[in-house]
Amino acid sequence: MDVLGIETTCDETAAAVVRMRPEGGGDILSNEISSQVAEHAAYGGVVPEIAARAHLEVIDRLIARALDAAGTTLRRLDAIAAAAGPGLVGGVIVGLTTAKALALAARKPFIAVNHLEAHALTARLTDGVNFPYLLLLVSGGHTQLVAVNGVGDYSRLGTTLDDAVGEAFDKVAKMLGLPYPGGPHVEREALKGNPTRFDLPRPMLGRPAADFSLSGLKTAVRIEAERVAPLTATDVGDLCASFQAAIIDLIVDRARAGLRAFRERKGHPEAFVVAGGVASNAAIRRAIARFAGEAGLRLVIPPPNLCTDNGAMIAWTGIERLRLGLIDDMTFAARPRWPLDTNAEPVQHGKA
Amino acid sequence: MQILAIDTALGAASACVLMQGQAEPVAGETLLMERGHAEALLPLVDRVMARVEGGFDALSRIAVTIGPGSFTGIRVGLSAARAIGLACAVPVVGVSVLASLAAPLFAENETSVAVAVVDARHGNIYFQPFAPGGRALSPPRLSSLRDAVRWIGAGPFRMAGPGARALAAEAQNFGLRADVVGALSAPEIAFVARLGLISDPETALPRPLYLKPPDARPQDDGRIARV
Repeated sequence: MDVLGIETTCDETAAAVVRMRPEGGGDILSNEISSQVAEHAAYGGVVPEIAARAHLEVIDRLIARALDAAGTTLRRLDAIAAAAGPGLVGGVIVGLTTAKALALAARKPFIAVNHLEAHALTARLTDGVNFPYLLLLVSGGHTQLVAVNGVGDYSRLGTTLDDAVGEAFDKVAKMLGLPYPGGPHVEREALKGNPTRFDLPRPMLGRPAADFSLSGLKTAVRIEAERVAPLTATDVGDLCASFQAAIIDLIVDRARAGLRAFRERKGHPEAFVVAGGVASNAAIRRAIARFAGEAGLRLVIPPPNLCTDNGAMIAWTGIERLRLGLIDDMTFAARPRWPLDTNAEPVQHGKA
Repeated sequence: MQILAIDTALGAASACVLMQGQAEPVAGETLLMERGHAEALLPLVDRVMARVEGGFDALSRIAVTIGPGSFTGIRVGLSAARAIGLACAVPVVGVSVLASLAAPLFAENETSVAVAVVDARHGNIYFQPFAPGGRALSPPRLSSLRDAVRWIGAGPFRMAGPGARALAAEAQNFGLRADVVGALSAPEIAFVARLGLISDPETALPRPLYLKPPDARPQDDGRIARV
C-alpha cells in the first residue's frame, strides 16, 4: 500500500511517498521538503501570508519530485493524504486543496490528516510501536503529553497553559539576539555556558497534573538578561545553558507526571515516544533517555528529520487511516485548531 | 482542445468546460460566495466534470484565474488547477482576473475604454484599462480611487468588476462619463475559458498575481543590548 502525504501547516512544504510493510511499520520511498526558514528569518517568526505564498510557489513541483524519487506515479498510489490542520490556515488550504484536486482528478481516496496525529503515529512508521503508548509532543507550536490508545483515539494527559517549548526557545533566542529559528542556536550557546549561573524558575514542578507553563520562565530569562546587560558572549552562553537546564528539569518532571496519569488509566505503556522539533535537541534527548531508563520504559524518538514537520508522517497516517477505511470527501475544511483529544477541555491561551 | 476553467479569486466559485470552436461551455457551474471557496470548489468541479464525456481524461488544458483578488481565493484556484494539471499531465495557464472581467466588454464592438476594477480594501482598487478591441492600456495596477481616475484618462468608460461602482462614482465626480456594465462580483467563467484557450502556456504561467506584498514588518523589538 503506497500513500502520498502532503504537509503545509507551518513553514515547511513537504511531500513524501510511504509504503506499508506487511510485517508492520513502513518504508519511506521519498521524503521531499522545502523549508521557508530564510523567508521568515527577518521577521523573527513565521508570517502566515509569507508562508502561504511560499507553499504555493513550490508545492506541485515538490510533489512531482516526491513521486519521481519514489519511482512511482499518481496512478499507482493507493491514496492521497494531506495535513488539514491544526496550523496556519492559509498554508493548510494550499496543501489540502492540492491533495483534494489530485485525488479527484486521479480518482484516488483522499485522507485529511491531523498534523498532531501524524507526529503521534510516526513511531509506528519507524519502529512499529504497539498501542497504547505515552507520547510527549514538543515543538514550536505544540507541547503536550498524550495517551495514544489507537488510531483516532487519544487522551490528553497534559498540555501547556501558555507557550510551547519550541516557542520559548525562539523567544529567548530573539531577546538574546540569536538568529531565528532559535532552538539550535540556544542549544549551541548552551554548550559553552554555565547552567548553574542563573537560578531560573521551574514552573509547575511537582504538580500532579501533567501540564506545562513556560511564560514565567521566559520572563525570568528576560529579567536576568536585563540585569546583566549589556550581554557578553559568556552571559549569552550562561543564560542559554541555565534556560535549557530549566527546560530539561521541567520536561522530565512533567513526563513523570504524565507517566503517572497514563498508568492510572491504562497500565504500563508499550513505549514512551517523543516527537516534535524540540526532540532534536541533544541535551533534551539525553535527559529523556535517562528518565525512560529509570522508569523502565521503551524509549522511541524518531530521527530528527521525522521529528520536525515532514511529509512522511502525513503519508504514514494516511496509511493507518486507509487501512481502517477512514477516508474523507471533497468538502473537508481546513482546521486552524484540531485537538487530538476532542474530549479534553480547551486551554485558554494554550498552544495545545 | 477541451479546457477546464476555474475561478475562485473574487466573489464566486466557478468552473466550466469549453471545447475549442464551440460558443458555449459543455458544462459549468457558478456559486456566488464571499467565503468558503476552499470547501466549495472541488465538489463543484466534481459535479461539472461528471457532465463531461470522458471526464478528466478528456481535458487537454486547465485555465485558472491568478488574481488580483482575495489572496486565499487565488491560492485555492491555483492549487486546484495545478494539481489537476499534474494529475492529468496537461498544461495549466494563468488568466488575469482583470482581463476576464473586461473581456465581455470589448466583445461588444464598443468604442469606449473598458476598465476592469477589483476592490482592494481600505479605499484602494486593482484596475486595468483596455482599449476597444482588447489591448491593455497599462499593466494591472493597485492605487487609490482618485489616483486610478488620473491614470485611466478622459473616457468615456465602461467598467466591470467588484470595484466598478466605486471607480465609476469617483470618475463621475471628476466630470467623466463612466457606465457600470459588466459582471460585478466575479468574472464570467466562460470568458476565463475562452482566454485560457488563446493563452500561450509558455508565457501565461499559473502563478499568483497578488499586486500587494504580504503585510509584515521586520521585528527587532525586545532584543537586549549586547556588548
